[in-house]
Amino acid sequence: MSGNLLRYAIWQLRDFARERGIALMVIGLAISITFIGPMKAIGVQFTENSARQLIVTILSQVALLAAFIAFNGMISNDRKLGYYRFLFSKPVSMPAYYTQLFAVFFAGYLIVFAVLLGLFGLVVFPVFPIGVITYAALVFLSLGGIAFFISSLVRFDWPALGGVFMGTLLLRSVLAGRDGPAAILLAILPPIHELLPLAGLVTGGTVAPLTVLWLLGYSACFFAAGLIVLRRRPFA
Amino acid sequence: MIEFNSVTKIYKSLLGRSVTAVEEFSLEVAEGEILGIAGPNGAGKSTLISLLLGYLEPTTGSVRIDGVRPRSYIERHGIGYLSELMSINPAWKAQDALTRFATLAGIASAGTARRVEEVIDQLGIDEHRSKKIKALSKGNLQRLGLAQALLRDERVMILDEPTHGLDPVWTQRFRGIVENLRMPGKTVIIASHNLDELQRLAGRVAIVDRGRLQRVVSTGYDQANEIAGVYRIRVAGGADRLAEIIPGAKDTGGGEFEITFQSVPELNSALARLIAGGVMVASVVPARSVLEQQFREAVGATT
Repeated sequence: MSGNLLRYAIWQLRDFARERGIALMVIGLAISITFIGPMKAIGVQFTENSARQLIVTILSQVALLAAFIAFNGMISNDRKLGYYRFLFSKPVSMPAYYTQLFAVFFAGYLIVFAVLLGLFGLVVFPVFPIGVITYAALVFLSLGGIAFFISSLVRFDWPALGGVFMGTLLLRSVLAGRDGPAAILLAILPPIHELLPLAGLVTGGTVAPLTVLWLLGYSACFFAAGLIVLRRRPFA
Repeated sequence: MIEFNSVTKIYKSLLGRSVTAVEEFSLEVAEGEILGIAGPNGAGKSTLISLLLGYLEPTTGSVRIDGVRPRSYIERHGIGYLSELMSINPAWKAQDALTRFATLAGIASAGTARRVEEVIDQLGIDEHRSKKIKALSKGNLQRLGLAQALLRDERVMILDEPTHGLDPVWTQRFRGIVENLRMPGKTVIIASHNLDELQRLAGRVAIVDRGRLQRVVSTGYDQANEIAGVYRIRVAGGADRLAEIIPGAKDTGGGEFEITFQSVPELNSALARLIAGGVMVASVVPARSVLEQQFREAVGATT
């Protein structure tokens, strides 16, 4: 990563905050309030365990949605809106630029979750953040590679990612337990179903390292494919 | 410095329909040259520029800048580029946009603010620096685009319709800016509809139409000696004798005549005869520029 690009990271973070960070905060707060509000209203007393259970419930809604918002148009917006014209007339490599953008978005996403968790601690019950942040990070990284690849490939990446997500869930439910080609297809479909057990991290549980490796490895392969697309495919 | 070698670009739609945007285009641009690219709408100018920036890959043939593929050159050195379509995030402020581009261009942190101030001053954007891009007029946006292209002293500059949207004052100033770019080691390509502008700024102009290079015209004086041209002669007296001396002269009214000469020496000879014959010649101007005549011939030949 060249020095000029590294210095540009602060601008990318500003863009994230303005274009996505605020939306993530608003959605995170809105969903949290719908769960926390009624419980507070009836005077529920929280313990650390019940607070963690509540976080799992909220995060199962927020983490995925937030990741989708964070990924939306990561690369495709620049192509669609023509912003690439000036950006890449400068001495900047497209794969390096978008790799850094991915890293910046990841950092921004985690900052949003840290802030939301801080607010949760103030309003509900303070919770040790490592498990929650790790869960949020794994959700982002597990989907990130696929989202990166799709955004490098098509202009309307958000619906495409939604289609992949929903299609995978649908196929997994339809093909579950079958043999032959269906089993092969199941094996190569995005391992989205593996995201669910990750929530155990929030309640202090553990997750099989192989599950994490499979999720991250699968995502990394698609990330690499996205970088190849950026290197090889004409941007205009 | 820049080479197009038998470049063909064919766009294919999902339905299998193909459109040839550029066909067998070959051209070399020397270091230190200012080259114009002229052509009617849809001639393939924008495709050529996208190929030169590496945003498109040729279907066949190759494009090279300083001997390497465009993206390789740009990722290493960068180029000064002004796009016809001014695509900057509308939520950015003008000064921030320049600071961002200066950062990406690799201007050292310590010098970024100073350089941004310099181009803001040079392009007269001072009063607009805090405005968002979406609040800028077409002309101011064009000046901002030019400012970001000038941020760094690039060896290659590509200016696509650079005076589009500029008022006459800034069009004039723009010419001065481009004149200052005329120096050894700096290669400038200007794509424009404005033939007068290209005539003034470019040493050569490539005329393209329907994706093909029709001809390359030198805009220098020597070339003017070689070709036929229509001249407009205005006389202050003796208009009746002009028609006798030059029978082919076309009276356009108000003491003005349009006359076709095959060369500049023939023009001078006719003027000598007019003056000797008692005609008071007030002015002689080309009815059309050399480039305009060449353009009409080149484009007319294919349309």
